[in-house]
Order: sequence, then C-alpha cells, then structure tokens
Amino acid sequence: MPPLLEARELTKRYGATIALESVDFQINEGITGLLGPNGAGKSTTIKLFLGLIGPTSGSAEVLGERPYESVESRTRLGYMPEHDCLPASVTAAEFLTHMAQVSGIPPAHARTRAADILRHVGLDEERYRSIGEYSTGMKQRVKLAQALVHDPLLVLLDEPTAGLDPGGREEMLALVRRTGREFGISILLSSHLMGDVESICDRIIVLEGGRVTEEGDVSLFTQETQTLYIDVDDHLEELVAALSKRSIAATVDGLSVVVETENDEQYDAIRDAIVESDARLRRLAPRRHGLTDIFRRAPNE
Amino acid sequence: MSEAQGEVFDLGYRHYEGPREGRMRARKAIWINGVRTALGIGRGWSSKALPILLFIAVITPAVVISIAAATAGDLVDFPRHDAYYQIISTLLVIFSAIIAPELLCPDRRDGVISLYLVRPLSPTDYVIGRWLAFLSVTLALVYLGQVVLFTGFVLAAEEPVNYLRDNWLDVPRFLLAGLVVAIFTTTIPLTVSAFTTRRAYAAAFVIGLFIISIPVAGILSICEEDHGRQRNEFGQEPEPCRPPTGESAKWFALINLSDVPIHVNDLIFPEENTSEFAQLVAELPSIVPVAWYLLLTIGPGFVLWWRYRRISI
Repeated sequence: MPPLLEARELTKRYGATIALESVDFQINEGITGLLGPNGAGKSTTIKLFLGLIGPTSGSAEVLGERPYESVESRTRLGYMPEHDCLPASVTAAEFLTHMAQVSGIPPAHARTRAADILRHVGLDEERYRSIGEYSTGMKQRVKLAQALVHDPLLVLLDEPTAGLDPGGREEMLALVRRTGREFGISILLSSHLMGDVESICDRIIVLEGGRVTEEGDVSLFTQETQTLYIDVDDHLEELVAALSKRSIAATVDGLSVVVETENDEQYDAIRDAIVESDARLRRLAPRRHGLTDIFRRAPNE
Repeated sequence: MSEAQGEVFDLGYRHYEGPREGRMRARKAIWINGVRTALGIGRGWSSKALPILLFIAVITPAVVISIAAATAGDLVDFPRHDAYYQIISTLLVIFSAIIAPELLCPDRRDGVISLYLVRPLSPTDYVIGRWLAFLSVTLALVYLGQVVLFTGFVLAAEEPVNYLRDNWLDVPRFLLAGLVVAIFTTTIPLTVSAFTTRRAYAAAFVIGLFIISIPVAGILSICEEDHGRQRNEFGQEPEPCRPPTGESAKWFALINLSDVPIHVNDLIFPEENTSEFAQLVAELPSIVPVAWYLLLTIGPGFVLWWRYRRISI
C-alpha cells in the first residue's frame, strides 16, 4: 500500500516567492503534526495535497494518486479548515447529510453517517438546531464532523483549536486524539501551537522557510536533558554551598537550583547535599526538551 | 412475570463500508441541494415564503387566462402560448434576480465553497451543478404556467379532442421556447452573483440592468406618438414618425434585455408578435436575434465558468 501522503521534490513558487522548495516526506498511519511559524509553507502544503493548487515541480500524492490531476483521489480525504466554513441557516444534521453526499455517499447512507458522526463529536442532542445558533466550540465540532462524515483514511486539520477558550481547546484536542486513536483515522494536524502538537501527535514535520528542517517521532524532540531542576522552599544558598563542596556547579533560577549533571553517580551527592543544607525539597526532576526548543535553535544548527 | 430488560451498548466508531459513488454522486448532490436552496426546502419559513410568492405570481396569469377562457367559451381573444412568456417576463426576471444569488453568494460568503472543492468535485462540476439546479427551477416555473394554460384551453374548448388535434404543436413549441427563456434568465443572474457575496447587490444589479435596458431601447428605437399632430395649413399629412436612430432603430431594439429570448420565441411560434420592439426586430434577418441571444447566453456562461475556474480558497 502506498503512503497516505507523499511529497517528492515538492516545490511551489508564486512568481519570485518560494513557498515550498524541494520538500520530501511521507505520512503514514497515526497523528502527524505539521509545525511551523506563519509563512513556513504549511497552508501551501495542505492545499497541494488537497489538489487546490498544482505544484511548480515535484509531486504531492495521496494514496499514490495526484489530487490536482484527479479529483476522485480526494474521496478518502477529509479537511477541516481554520476559517469559517459553515452555513448559518441549516441544521447540522442537514448540512452533514449533504456533505456526505458531496463526498460520494448515497442519500440513505449519508443520513445514517451524519447522525453517527454528530453523536461521536458530542452534538447528538443539538443536531436539529440551525448552525447559526451554535457556540464557537460547537461550530468547531461541526467542522470536524464534516471532515469525518465520509469516513476518510486521512483527515487534514488546519489549526483545529483556533478561537477556542482553554476548556474548549482541551475538549477539541481530546476529540482529535480520539479520532486518531479510537476511530483509526490518520491525521495531519497543521498548527503553530507547540502544546497542541506535543500533546496529541506521534510524529512531527517542521517546516521553516519552505523547507523541512526537522522530522521524526515527537518523543525524539521531548527527551530528557542533563539539566536537573531542584525546587526547594528555603535554604537555597546553603544548598548551593553544599553542592559546591561536592564539586557540583549549581546556579539559582527563582526557587530552583539548576545543576548540569554529568553522570548518574552525582545523584547520591546531590541527595546528600540537600540533606546537609536542611532545605525542604519540593521537586527534583530533569528538564525535558520541548518542541519550542526547535525554534530557539540557531538557523544553521 | 418477568419485566422486560434492556441494555444500551456503545458500539463505538464504525467505519463506513457501504457504496461510494464518487464524482457523479457529488455532482448530483450539488444539483439537488441547489434546487432545495432555491425553493427554501429544509430551511425556515422565511426562506420558503419568497419563492412561493414569486411562483404564485408567475403562475397567476396562466390561471386567470384559463379561467377567463373557460368562462367566455371563446378562445380567440385570449393571449396564447406565444404571448405567455412576454406576459411573465418581468416577473421572471424578478424571480431570477432574487432567487439565483441564493445558490452562489452564501457558499462564498460562509466559506462552504472551500469544503466543496476539497471533495471529489471540480469548480466546473460545482458551477454546472448550480446552473442546472436553477435552470430546473426556472423550467418548472415556465412550463407549469404553460401546462396550466394548455389545460385551461383544452377544457374551455367546445370540442376538447378537436382542440388537441389542431393545437398539439403548441406543446413542443412552448417546451422549446420555455427552454430558451429559462436558459437566459438563469445564466445572467448567476453570472452576476459570481462577483459578489451579497445577494441583495446581485439582485439589485440584475433588476436594474433589465429595467434600464427597456427605456434605453425605447428612447433609441421607438418614435414618439404622433397623436394630435394635425394636417398642415396646406392639408398635407404630417411627416411619418421617425425614430431618433433612423434606420438603425431595429438594431437598438435589441437592447431591451427582457425581450431577447422573446425575439427567439417569435421565430418558434407562428403567431405574429405585435409589440413595437418585436416589430422592429422582425425587420432584421432571423439569424440576428438568435445570434444576439446566443451571445448574451454563452458569453455570461463563459464568464461564470471562468470566474469559478479561478476561484481561490
């Protein structure tokens, strides 16, 4: 079976502006995050895979087919745009039934699919209300539902938490996670929010300036570092002195003492230093890399 | 006696394993949705009220003529199938101008178009689906009136069978003429609607365009009435009335947009159209009104297609 999505030497230029340059990657099952700052080429990548624009050179393939040349290849793709895309005057049930039919599902099956998917996104009770009466969070659910109503193999989500309050954001992320894990639908999630990507994605592809700069499993980018944070309630200076006596260099960062560990044996010495300083320990943990670190690095690093 | 027991199971997400009909189903869905949108089906009463009122207004002349013919028992003096489209042309323009934008403007304003075009549907499929949807509604409208009229005439005739035998050719004629009218009143309003997201702007522009074309054509092609002009002091007849554009008047008569399909219909029906514009256009070779009609239909149709080919989402 070919990869769900595959970019090969994919290049897109708008006049003199290069949106994507010779990009190569594959997307298979699971939840993949497409990360990058504004203007990195995320939207262009999505449009190329949806067949809305054609590449300048190279290819963007969906299940081995080129969507720009064959609209039929979009039958197993779903898309949730960032911007508003819902009619106000129709009910969610009517709208989803129609969108299922536009995806090629016959009317009788379309009605059943619409009801099923609205139940899965938590809008079972509200499905006969006009969409115009919905809250922002409910509208986001309808947007996700229309992307799933024809049971795609892969769904492309463009900033699915945009405009949501913290509670709504958590609910939407949980729904996206369920879609990927329980429904078994693969996801390409485009976002500039590291937290969203970090919390639900298995893999990430990082775009900057139209090029892929990083690619791999999320765990690779969130590994533990050698930096140890010791959070104490008091006796900070005594702790630093006790560490120094044991030839361990330490710095103070707020209420934390920060130590660059060199080997595991140092942990015994650190424990002894805490006991000696009589400091009340609140937390002792290694710092983890975050996805934000990717964008903090120097461009040529 | 044991009580009936029930248990609810959450079956979880189930993948769809039914038929997938691809692009043909998508095209059909756009067409059916367009028809439903035009008629306000599946929407609130406010969306239904206007199409219903306009439908009634367009059908009313046929009903009135049929009843009057049945009452009088003499069909000679009543407007017939050839005149019906001219009678309803203004109403038809208003209907098209108000309803056609419903099929295109909200999809672009609300962003729904971006969901259509990521499905197995090209921009051409979409715009043809919408065009066919509105053509279907307009055809239903114009044919319904003619069917009412024909039925009324058959029932009003002294010998209905003889009437049918003598006038059956009216049916293919009004079917063809109705198609000519419907294609025209579908294409121009939809093309205008492709350039704005505001339905009211599109409706106002179309109505304005058709209304303005009538006096402009009139001023340029029809001479003023010569009522009250007297013989001169030598008892000679006054100069015959001449339109301001002289011999070219018959060309300027084509400017009246609502009559453009009527001039083609005048070639379909054997009866003579006695309106002033029709009389002027009748002086032109038959190919001229047909070519003018095709230009004003194919031209906007091409612009509509081109506009959606270039749409970016």
